[in-house]
Amino acid sequence: MKILIVDDEAIIRELMLQIIDEIEDMEIQTLEATDGLEALELIKKEKPDIVFLDIMMPKLNGFEICRIFKNEPPSWDMKIIMLTAKGQDIDIQTAKELGVKWYITKPFKINDIIKLLREIV
Amino acid sequence: MRMSRLFQKTLISIIFLFLIIFITISIFSGWHLYNNLTEEYKSKGTAIASSIASSSVETNLNLDSATVQAMIDQFLEIEGVSYVFVRDSSGQIISHTFVPNIPQEILEISDAHKSGIKDISIQGMGEFLDIVAPITEGAIGFVHVGMNKNIINKKMWTVIGSQIALLSAIFALSLFLAYFMVNKISQPLNELTEYAKKLLNHDFSARVDIKSKDEIGLLANTMQSMANNINEVFDRYEYALKDAVLELQNTLAYLTTIIDNMADGLIVVDKDGIINHINSAVSDMFGLLEHEMIGKNIKILGKNFVELSTKSLATEEIVTAEINLTRNRFGKAVAKSIKKEYFAEDSEAKGILGSVILIRDITQEKKVDKLKTEFITIVSHELRTPLTSILGFVEMIERKFKDTIIPNIDLNNQKITKVINKIERNFDIILSEGERITSLISDILDISKLESGTVKWNLEEISIEDIVENAYKALSSLFEQKGLAFNLQIQPNLPKINADRERLIQVMINLFSNALKFTEKGFIKCSAELSNNEILVKVQDTGIGIPEEEIDTIFEKFKQVGDIMRNKPKGTGLGLPISKQIIEAHGGKIWVKSEYGKGSIFYFTIPLIKREGNNNENINS
Repeated sequence: MKILIVDDEAIIRELMLQIIDEIEDMEIQTLEATDGLEALELIKKEKPDIVFLDIMMPKLNGFEICRIFKNEPPSWDMKIIMLTAKGQDIDIQTAKELGVKWYITKPFKINDIIKLLREIV
Repeated sequence: MRMSRLFQKTLISIIFLFLIIFITISIFSGWHLYNNLTEEYKSKGTAIASSIASSSVETNLNLDSATVQAMIDQFLEIEGVSYVFVRDSSGQIISHTFVPNIPQEILEISDAHKSGIKDISIQGMGEFLDIVAPITEGAIGFVHVGMNKNIINKKMWTVIGSQIALLSAIFALSLFLAYFMVNKISQPLNELTEYAKKLLNHDFSARVDIKSKDEIGLLANTMQSMANNINEVFDRYEYALKDAVLELQNTLAYLTTIIDNMADGLIVVDKDGIINHINSAVSDMFGLLEHEMIGKNIKILGKNFVELSTKSLATEEIVTAEINLTRNRFGKAVAKSIKKEYFAEDSEAKGILGSVILIRDITQEKKVDKLKTEFITIVSHELRTPLTSILGFVEMIERKFKDTIIPNIDLNNQKITKVINKIERNFDIILSEGERITSLISDILDISKLESGTVKWNLEEISIEDIVENAYKALSSLFEQKGLAFNLQIQPNLPKINADRERLIQVMINLFSNALKFTEKGFIKCSAELSNNEILVKVQDTGIGIPEEEIDTIFEKFKQVGDIMRNKPKGTGLGLPISKQIIEAHGGKIWVKSEYGKGSIFYFTIPLIKREGNNNENINS
């Protein structure tokens, strides 16, 4: 299983890697992207199963990436999980409108992530 | 020419007087004349009859009809004598002057009438006085002389007629004189009347020209000097009035200038919502000219104004609303009803006359508010990222510590176990305080949005039961943990309300978690009922209560019950201010009653009236 972590904050990416590392009973390959454009390229190239997507990023923000995949759905089963500090109603609603099913606001609990991953898989 | 009233009256009096004189004189003189003439005729007749009787005796004892006839024919020529006839002692008429025959009436009276005077009426001839004189005491015969009464009547009427003619002439003369006399009196009176009329029309410069020294002249003089006095007084008053008006105009101009130069808009509406007065700021605020607003219904300025003025006219309290102005500006309108009792006592019933609405352009404040919110939004995002790292890694360390390190440590070493316990407690503190910062950031963001009015409300038809149950569900584990009884009493069949579901759940959660936070034993009770077209919700606890001096500030930001240094309760201190903002945005009220040491009851109301969104929602777009 391929998981792509998209966040411009290296420390958050590091945290996410460590959390995913906690799941020992699954074979998970992790990928990282630091901005929207890089994320887009990696998604097309690597076809990840799960994408943890930040919203506020340079070059291309999380919503814009969502919009791209809403208009042109990927050929494989890719699940986008928003992982963002933007926790206002309006943001959650925007994500919903863009077809995002999972929305985690920062700060989060390690178990929130692990539970969600197990649920999805 | 019109007869003056005075002359009319005089005329009527004269006519009346003359009528009485006519009648009295006519009756009196007629009667007098009649009597005199009758007496005269009687004596005349008697004399003639006696004369004939004595002549007859002298000439011949035996009546010779031819001699008698010749004698009586002479007497017939005397004025008033109509007939003469002589009868013999047997009553036979031996000679007479009747032509051609003796009337029947004469034949009938002959026997009975032997002396004196008798009235008789002969058909075709008229009325007569029949006077009888016996010849030698009736031994030879009787002489009858008939005096014509018609002549008496004729004479009498002639006299009366000439009297009437004379009196009529005097009457005409009197009228003529009266006309002049009356005119002489009434003309100056008319002049005075005209003069008085001029005075009535405030023409004090008019003059009246009556020089006579009589009462009328005196009256005219008095009136003239009175008019002069009045004129003076009027002049004085006019001058004073002009002064007062000028002063009033100045004051009014001053006030109008103040009102027109006010930065705030001012609208005065009457009790029907018709705009009576505006200042120039209003024209600018709504892009309408004064004449486009005066006299129109306030609804031309938008439906918010209709609601505002309706509310204001129904109450004496100050009512406020936020409104849109032209050129993307926002205003805050404050309305206060005008009560009649501020006016003079001439008003019929006391009541509300209208409403004064002040509008302040709060575009700048809104901008500042918006900037503040944006700033807080950004800051809160920026805070969340490092907070995520800190909390995430602390949790990670705790996890590793629990999963990996503890199992590999000698738990028999008391010192190490003690340290491990401390570390575990420290982890708990770091994590729970971290959570507190997280909710503090959320709450600050929330309240700043609520205060700046940038919240989008998702109004929908919801039942209060659903709200309460959802809030309870979210906190059920806490209820169980505390072991407090929860008592729910919701009046059945409550009408639905038009409200933001998530936000009301937020309020309920706030109230429930406060109740839980401050209550150690007893119960928490929640009830909802319909009261005055509003849903009234109560949340009662048996907790520590609120000291009286803190009740007023409990809904202010960062005010929490209790001594913060000693007995710090968990929470952000923003739950109640947020709840207040939410409830007020729904048009409701929130308040608390509490007895320190015994518990508190929080109340809030949500009106049932259908609200078409919030005034602020436009600001979001």
